Amino acid sequence: MLNHFSAWLTNTPLTVFLENAAWAVPLIQTLHILMIAVVFGGAAFINLRILGLLDTEQPLPNVFSRFLPPLTVGVVVLAVTGVLLIASEPNRAIFRVVFWVKMGLVVAALLATWGQRRWVAAGLAGAAKPSALAYRLLAVVSVGLWVSVIFAGRWIGYVSGWPGSPT
Amino acid sequence: MSWNDVLAAIEATPASRAVAESDWIFPTAESLHVIAITLVVGSILVVDLRLLGLAWRARPTRDLEVQFLPVTWLAFAGAALTGSVLFLAKPVSYAHNPLFIAKLAMLALAAVNMVAFHWLVAPAKGRTDPSSAAKVSGLVSLGIWIGVVALGRWIGFTL
Repeated sequence: MLNHFSAWLTNTPLTVFLENAAWAVPLIQTLHILMIAVVFGGAAFINLRILGLLDTEQPLPNVFSRFLPPLTVGVVVLAVTGVLLIASEPNRAIFRVVFWVKMGLVVAALLATWGQRRWVAAGLAGAAKPSALAYRLLAVVSVGLWVSVIFAGRWIGYVSGWPGSPT
Repeated sequence: MSWNDVLAAIEATPASRAVAESDWIFPTAESLHVIAITLVVGSILVVDLRLLGLAWRARPTRDLEVQFLPVTWLAFAGAALTGSVLFLAKPVSYAHNPLFIAKLAMLALAAVNMVAFHWLVAPAKGRTDPSSAAKVSGLVSLGIWIGVVALGRWIGFTL
């Protein structure tokens, strides 16, 4: 099914354009990296705050409300640029296991970040909240997940496609 | 000894050969490099947005700098270290690559902008409304760092 999809994608005007405009892919990749700065940076600053390592005078809810909105926008732009990068080389990313691992890690990282926000909201509402240790453990897990996303992303360029894939 | 002799000597070292021949050293250094530069850009973005009056308007710039610039410095050290490992993969080739040279020049510009900022804008840092000089400095900083990222990515296309 993926073979059919990539064969179809190869012939679309979008892919033809991306493959022929020499500046397009580097530009899209640069935008992808700048958005990683917003997403990974935002997540890092939130988690460093939770771990008591950064901007500790700032109340935790403030840190979330400051960094989560740009992080969300960043994730959307990463998805769009990501789709364009796949379109530019239809036979590459989607045939590599590490790409799908990366997608799973992105979902896990977003769930962890969303979970952290819910804990803070619960704490604010006076509901029973997790222990300080639980907050910190989830912060470490969250950082680990986002770091893993970056490693998986880079590794797409270094592995081969699975048996039966076009390249 | 010419520069080319120095570069050739570096390329002949066991460390350089190891990076060039290993399956995992370059990808690992690259991934760590991405993490480092995103933290550099992210932390600088915080201060630059403040300088441009676009965010944290209630907080003095000095306050944000004190909190976030340590991240910038630490991350930059990581970027320089991992960047050196990447450089070792092909010292001669990188040193002659115009994009790599341009990237180093941009980093030098970033340093100049930083010094200029601390000399010219420093007295006003306790203020909560940024001066024109501060806004220019913030804009220049953003432009430079976006340029560094773009050049860095472009290098990968010229190898």
